[in-house]
Amino acid sequence: MLKNLYQYRELFKSNVKKEIRGKYKGSFLGVLWSFVNPLLMTLVYAIVFPFILKSGEPHYVTYIVIGILPWNFFTTVISQGTFTFLSNAGIIKKVYFPREILPVSVATSGLVNFIICIPIICVFLLCSGIGFSWYMLLLPLVIIAEYLLLLGIIFITGSINVYIRDFEYIVNFFVTMLFYATPVLYSSELFGDFAWILRLNPMTIIIESYRHILYYQQFPNMFNLIGILVISILLLIFGIFVFKKLEKGFAEEL
Amino acid sequence: MSTNGKKAIIVKDLTKSFKLFYDKPSTLKERFVFWNKKKVESRAVLEHINLTIDKGETVALIGTNGSGKSTLLKLMTKIIYPTHGSLQTNGKLTSLLELGAGFHPDFSGRENIYFNASIFGLTKKEIDQRIQDIIDFSELHDYIDSPVRTYSSGMYMRLAFSIAINVDADILLIDEILAVGDQHFQDKCFEKLTELKNSDKTIVIVSHNLDAIKNLCNRAIWIYNGQIRMDGDPIEVIDEYLKVCG
Repeated sequence: MLKNLYQYRELFKSNVKKEIRGKYKGSFLGVLWSFVNPLLMTLVYAIVFPFILKSGEPHYVTYIVIGILPWNFFTTVISQGTFTFLSNAGIIKKVYFPREILPVSVATSGLVNFIICIPIICVFLLCSGIGFSWYMLLLPLVIIAEYLLLLGIIFITGSINVYIRDFEYIVNFFVTMLFYATPVLYSSELFGDFAWILRLNPMTIIIESYRHILYYQQFPNMFNLIGILVISILLLIFGIFVFKKLEKGFAEEL
Repeated sequence: MSTNGKKAIIVKDLTKSFKLFYDKPSTLKERFVFWNKKKVESRAVLEHINLTIDKGETVALIGTNGSGKSTLLKLMTKIIYPTHGSLQTNGKLTSLLELGAGFHPDFSGRENIYFNASIFGLTKKEIDQRIQDIIDFSELHDYIDSPVRTYSSGMYMRLAFSIAINVDADILLIDEILAVGDQHFQDKCFEKLTELKNSDKTIVIVSHNLDAIKNLCNRAIWIYNGQIRMDGDPIEVIDEYLKVCG
């Protein structure tokens, strides 16, 4: 599979480019929307949530920006990735190319988008006076864990969605629900002894790791983080297995 | 592979059947509601096809609509897979099933050349080497940097054909597109195909343009109801085909 991806690297590259640039093509602000969108979201939550939720965080806005950007990465990739084979039905039915390029380029364009947005986090860290620390060197590990987790998920959801079109709506609903089960806007400490339930959700551990590294400037829970990394890799292997099984029928089902 | 060095396409006892749905259930609700009503019938489009195409041959697939020739071509491109049997191809393969599949309307002609050629597995460097040939062949110099959505359908097809013809594949699969553009461009395509034929490329064409086939191909295969009815010299096969189906 890696050989395939390498041979078709030009397609992969232009597909990633197309995902990033084509998404906002025709809009006035263009790629700037990748910045504006999460900022607007943050603004809304920063205004609304302090009223509902008494949080003891002194830099609440920075606190939620660090949660929202990785969460955005997660949701965009899942919703686009689940839909990717359907939205490319035209070429899948007409041309042969390694189909795995589609989910991989969705996840990669999400990754690039996320990395472009990291300066936003940096600006917030500087403005709030938290600043940078050496722990930021651990950031790539968390990002890789999230990327692999996403890849595994969309290989499965994308392939199933070709056969059962409802799957997309189920996934979208599930992701919306998951937002509340992930400590994006609140801290898992809020749940006291039951915080472990939240940690069954891999995104909890990923977002907590981002927070530990960037906000609290300390080591993330390495045991949990390595655990997620291993789970993501296993999920990815399973995802590729499912995809390989279902791939051969794509052109007929689409 | 070395033992099959001279063979471009080998088809062994290939059968392809499609599921026939009367009303295709693809939502969960329908799957649950019609759980037991197995309204699925399977229909064999191709049955026990055995076929070998040598390197350098130019082969036409002929037959009436629905006889399975396009399905066979799709199987060769690996867009769909056989139900039974096997199909093996040796060498880099390009298909022209539908012109301009995968064009992105908002991108310029030049960007689409890169995108479309990369679908065929070319790297940037390889495309850079060919881009001038592609543009020259399409004769779209003045429009190559405009978005493809502003193109007329003739220009669209010219660009797509120019890309496919210039990717340097060993095997070229073409589905009914000999009628591209105006007379001038058609002649040009025909000339290019003849040139490719005389190099050691393998070409498989599905077409209803019998005169063109007679001129271009050195072998014709008549597919009738999912089976090979006749295989041989184009002129003889076409004569026989016209007697039965004409």
